[in-house]
Amino acid sequence: MMKNRFKAADIIPFISFVAIFVFFTIASKGAMLSAFNLSIILDQSMITIIVGCGVLFVIAQGSTDMTIGVNLGLSGVLAVHVGLAIGHPWAMLPLACIFGLIVGIINGFLVAKCKVPSFMLSIAELIGIRGLINYIQTVISAEYITNEMRVLNTSAVKIPMFIAIVVIMIYIFEFTKIGRYSRAIGENETTARFVGVPVDLMKITAFALSGLCAGYASILAVAQINGTNMQMGVFLEMKTVMAIFFGGVLVTGGASAKIYKVFLGALSIQIIINGLGLIGKSATQIQQSVEGVLLLLVLFITMMASRGRKIKPKEIEEEEKAAVQG
Amino acid sequence: MSTGQTILEIKGLNKYFGPTHANKNIDFTLKTGEIHGLIGENGSGKSTLISQIAGLYGHDSGEMILKGQHYDPQSPIDANDHKISMVMQELGVVGTLPAGMNVFLGRTDKFTKFGIINKKQLNREAQAIFEKWDLPRVPMNKLTDGMMIETRKMIELARALSVDPDILILDEITQSLSLNNRRKLVDLINKLKEDGKSIIVITHDVEELIEITDTITVLRDGAVVGNVMSAETTPDEIKQMMVGRAMEGGYYREDMVPEYGDEVVLSVKNVTVKGEIEDISFDLHKGEILGFCGLSDSGIHSIGKAVYGLSKLQKGTIHLNEKNADIKSAPQALRSNMGYVPKDRDNEALMIHASIRDNFVLPSLTELQGPIAFLSPAKLSRLASETSKQLSVKMTGIGQPMDALSGGNKQKVNFGRWLAKDLKVLVLDCPTRGVDVGVKAYIYSLMKQAKKDGISIVLISDELTEILGMSDRLFVMKDGKITKEIRRDEDFTEQSVIGVMI
Repeated sequence: MMKNRFKAADIIPFISFVAIFVFFTIASKGAMLSAFNLSIILDQSMITIIVGCGVLFVIAQGSTDMTIGVNLGLSGVLAVHVGLAIGHPWAMLPLACIFGLIVGIINGFLVAKCKVPSFMLSIAELIGIRGLINYIQTVISAEYITNEMRVLNTSAVKIPMFIAIVVIMIYIFEFTKIGRYSRAIGENETTARFVGVPVDLMKITAFALSGLCAGYASILAVAQINGTNMQMGVFLEMKTVMAIFFGGVLVTGGASAKIYKVFLGALSIQIIINGLGLIGKSATQIQQSVEGVLLLLVLFITMMASRGRKIKPKEIEEEEKAAVQG
Repeated sequence: MSTGQTILEIKGLNKYFGPTHANKNIDFTLKTGEIHGLIGENGSGKSTLISQIAGLYGHDSGEMILKGQHYDPQSPIDANDHKISMVMQELGVVGTLPAGMNVFLGRTDKFTKFGIINKKQLNREAQAIFEKWDLPRVPMNKLTDGMMIETRKMIELARALSVDPDILILDEITQSLSLNNRRKLVDLINKLKEDGKSIIVITHDVEELIEITDTITVLRDGAVVGNVMSAETTPDEIKQMMVGRAMEGGYYREDMVPEYGDEVVLSVKNVTVKGEIEDISFDLHKGEILGFCGLSDSGIHSIGKAVYGLSKLQKGTIHLNEKNADIKSAPQALRSNMGYVPKDRDNEALMIHASIRDNFVLPSLTELQGPIAFLSPAKLSRLASETSKQLSVKMTGIGQPMDALSGGNKQKVNFGRWLAKDLKVLVLDCPTRGVDVGVKAYIYSLMKQAKKDGISIVLISDELTEILGMSDRLFVMKDGKITKEIRRDEDFTEQSVIGVMI
């Protein structure tokens, strides 16, 4: 039964990815498949994937971090401003990462040590930090990066930057203690604590990585629009978290959290957005409705898939009998 | 109604909660005019049994026959309709409703006209019940939230009596009553008995139980282990039945001398955990198995948590001599080559939805790290598959989810993963709980081997025979304190322990 659950949760995202891809390819009469269009899809998924790799640590632990959108906004705005103010515009690169990291560490501290539920924290910051961004942008108004820095928005720079961060995150998530401990916490926090996993430290680490990725992604976001504005990171948290669930990660996290699912989910969603545009339904209202319906669908499937968790007593009894006899 | 007839008969009743077999083939007979006591340790299945009679849970197999007819209540209200009612162990009044409403909770229909409850009439009838049974006065219009526990218990009792029950079930009600009301309750029970009604009483107080009941049924580990007439038994006999187990020969230690090194590995000094244990001190030697026994709420389980750094110590220190450090957190304990097998395997020890491999390697990740913190998947798999082969875990592969395994095999993983490490101290809390005889013997042999290898073991167990069978020294605990220390070559018998335990 458990095998089926994992199979369902793992296969459905693949099937839906293929279905969405095929649907829009046909609906757009092949326009979907043009090299130019595909590169646009990849380009537009980059930020979601980078941020998603960070958030995945938090989601693996069974929590959620919806502060990434505002974190990206704040880190970007502050980094560009400070960089210009000190006369070293290029300093925004490390600064963005540092600011993102700081916000992440503070979040982690609030969740792990002050026991603020991560969801509540997210709501508070979605409002609070967005207000701060708007305030800063009203005071210092939108700023622009220097002409030389526009090189950041070229594929030659963007793609290596993307690969670098993603490789690091894959390494940490799949091949180090941090990733394994995070999944263990999501599977069963009590177990993790009782074995001796430093649960609080891991929570802070997860939020820190999530923040770091948001800060890093803000560099690309700034490059995309040549500067800063109030709209930076708006709705990004929704898009990212949705991508992760769409990719087949369970809300409870744990062993179901895998990096490839971030890619799968982010690409699926970007194809939907892109595809709707290709068939002339790009109005925000339609796009958002479709996304909403899809998220519901995903949650429904997740629920259905996790339902197999209850174990029937009879099966256990038979099992025990078999164990005694065997 | 005449007395002495069978009113309720239960045959081969079974109840499971997930993998827990809470009631095992229970046979139980209740007669009219009988006061029937149920006793057993925490978790022995008493509450589960009466909850099925009172319609809170359904049963998984077996049969209940009430007054000669098949009985399978769908809800407590349904049980009420069959004239069975219960006062529960945990508080069962709705705090935001007034006392009178609580008495008729769920049965307000007869006071309702056009959707409006006639409160006056309801309160009058509630009052009448209190008067009829001579219960202490309670203001019917007041919310129950601010009331004392004792008063709230009385409201619950009135609710149970309001259905005019043929069978009244009282689950641990006396402990929240004052002496005065206790006496009143006993009078009330006797009055019901005279009317030919049947009462099932649960209490932890053995003396009280013998005094007020006619018959006593003893439960242990979900099964009935004895049924005696109250007039013909003694508290000691009941206690023996509750706790003692027949020595299942062969798999314990044969020697009767304590054998361990002089070196003190871990020394616990004046440890107090608020509300759990008080002023605990002991030394654990190299290669020693140190047993802790006592009733479930005596604090023995808190010892394990505290030693592994999981509790906030109000006072005292846990000193690990090899590292010359005080253990202050579980991660530190893990780093210091300590291990902990908690009591609740599925909820505290294992990630039951994750794979066997993930469960296996969890305590050993630090040791498995290569350069730049790299954890090689091949290395992890090798550790998991080699160790599970050694332990002969029955599985299809290390990728199989944990909860596909039987209880015994789960425990092999739970226990065995620590032995894959270079341990100094191992804390075991009920290591053979819920495993079959074969695995049990195997776990004991692992313990003996670990002892031989110089690992020091803190063994905590509800099973007295296990403690007696394996320990070099044992501590008896009661109310969070150590009350007695016995060495293996001294008076190492069940009697000498049970005497101080209860």
